[in-house]
Amino acid sequence: MGAPGLRSWKRESGLDAFFSALQAILNGLLTGALYALVGMGMALIFGVMRIVNFAHGTFLMLGMYATYFIFEKTGLNPYFGFVFASAFLFCLGYLIYRGLIQHMPVHSDFMQILLTLGLALIFTDAIQLTFGADYHQLNLPLLAKNVHLGQHISLNAPWLVSFGLAVVLGSGMYWFVMHTRIGRAARAIAQNRYASPLMGINVHRVQAVSFGLGVAGAGIAGGLLLPVFYIYPTVGDQFTLKAFVMVVLGGMGSIQGAAVAGLVLGVVESLTSLYWGNEWALAVDFAIFLLVLSLRPAGIFGSQRV
Amino acid sequence: MTRSKSWIAAGSFAVCLLIPLVVRTDYNLQVLFRVFLFAALGLAWNLVGGYAGQLSLGHAAYFGAGAYAMALLPHFGVSLWVAPVLGIILAVAFAALIGGVSFRLRGPYFALATIAFAEVLRLLAKNLPSVTGGDVGIQVPSLFAHAINRSFYLAAVVLTAIAFGVTVWVSRSKFGYYLMAIREDEDTALSVGINTARTKLEALFLSAGITAMGGALYGSLFLFIVPDQVLSLDISNEIAIVAMLGGAGTALGPILGSIVLESASETFKNVFHEAHLLIYGLLLVVVVIFLPEGIVGTVNTWLARRRSALAAAPKQRAQRNSAS
Repeated sequence: MGAPGLRSWKRESGLDAFFSALQAILNGLLTGALYALVGMGMALIFGVMRIVNFAHGTFLMLGMYATYFIFEKTGLNPYFGFVFASAFLFCLGYLIYRGLIQHMPVHSDFMQILLTLGLALIFTDAIQLTFGADYHQLNLPLLAKNVHLGQHISLNAPWLVSFGLAVVLGSGMYWFVMHTRIGRAARAIAQNRYASPLMGINVHRVQAVSFGLGVAGAGIAGGLLLPVFYIYPTVGDQFTLKAFVMVVLGGMGSIQGAAVAGLVLGVVESLTSLYWGNEWALAVDFAIFLLVLSLRPAGIFGSQRV
Repeated sequence: MTRSKSWIAAGSFAVCLLIPLVVRTDYNLQVLFRVFLFAALGLAWNLVGGYAGQLSLGHAAYFGAGAYAMALLPHFGVSLWVAPVLGIILAVAFAALIGGVSFRLRGPYFALATIAFAEVLRLLAKNLPSVTGGDVGIQVPSLFAHAINRSFYLAAVVLTAIAFGVTVWVSRSKFGYYLMAIREDEDTALSVGINTARTKLEALFLSAGITAMGGALYGSLFLFIVPDQVLSLDISNEIAIVAMLGGAGTALGPILGSIVLESASETFKNVFHEAHLLIYGLLLVVVVIFLPEGIVGTVNTWLARRRSALAAAPKQRAQRNSAS
């Protein structure tokens, strides 16, 4: 996955090198804000609730297709359509928790992985049967617009819009988890699963809402990525592992940590693409992940909580 | 293993060797090859994932090591039958690196670390085309010149038999009890004097070696490999699912799991065509909800319950009689 609108790296002058690096960093931040949304959703599901979710990227893909479907049927701009798409994904997540996860007889890591892998296969194949395996892309007039900052830096308009929305929604999600009753309850369950029902918390209801919220986070990111991405049924797969990387880098259970990790990952990938080539970006992600896991398992921004 | 069980095992092995006399079409032999290949891979995974309880989701690393050794080494003048052996050594070297880092982690962290290693290897294989052929892929020489499908089928059966033998030995040895102790409670195992790091590594070496041999056979049968196939997450997942479906931590589980899963997925491909992954996904969900202990585990639980009910029945009758 490339950084948007990268200029080719010129070796001639130091100043050019500086500007291309700056451009790459800015592009990385734009991508990173969307990563942050994906990571925050996963931080809620995996970090706080401890559900090993291998369908996160698939939920993102569903968010893309739902937004795309709304656009095709009603012509609603994806920057509004994603709201409905993510509401749909919230309901889907809620139902998956209520219908399946709540009834799992054995709650081991592997059973959760197996269940979410199964769901990922079901949804991916269902989308492929409905929409076909071809690539689709939206044609919005906004796509061609660029915002110029001085002579050397230009930022792609749809990425800027997505960035703004991602920052607002990410902050909203953080506020929800930190300051509402349900958010507090979710964190209480993470701290002590056995004491929280004694304090009057309805564990399954809170978990179902949190799971729905985490899934919606992926769905929002999908909707906001739609204008700048090709879509195809397996487009989400790359995000599942990245989401895990973000949660671990940010420190398990830390929503803000995952958000910062998302931004860092965006910048690292963008700089890797600039200096070594696009194809190494993912490998660098995993290398960082393994380094952090082996040297500092609490995460770089690790709050030791949870 | 009791004497009668040994006879059953030997008899089944003989029957499996004789199957090619009945099954003659290339397609059916290839399906059966896949069944036994994944039975062997599942048994190998089971040593680490089942007996030691270490959930590896990166076994594609060892599978790919075997396949790529089989593909690359003959170019350097290594003879055909030495290449898989060097592949096994390469996989064990990978296992030392991967295990050395990952075994210090627990729970989902361990699984994620193994995935990350396998993915790094896949990306290296993709991005270094001068060594591995990259995305274009690379040709693999065939280990057998005549009756190719039958020979590969027999090789897979032999590999499964070896893996089964190793599993039976492990499950009855002190080494196996160490592994199970680690699965039940690693801290306690450590405190009673088991060198847990070393024991887990040794299990992974055995597992990686068998997996690499499987990878070499796979590559050599299909004559052509690409990173997204032999080093993919799908391979890692399939290996683990085969073992868990049959019953992790049992010797028969992975074999049954492979028979069920591979024949089901082959049937789905033929019956449901494009919807086969959807059905496969549904199968996984059904297993999680209804068969969480795997086939062998569920049957064992059911048998144990029946046995205890039978044992309890006469006692109850006796109590009733004495009461009256």
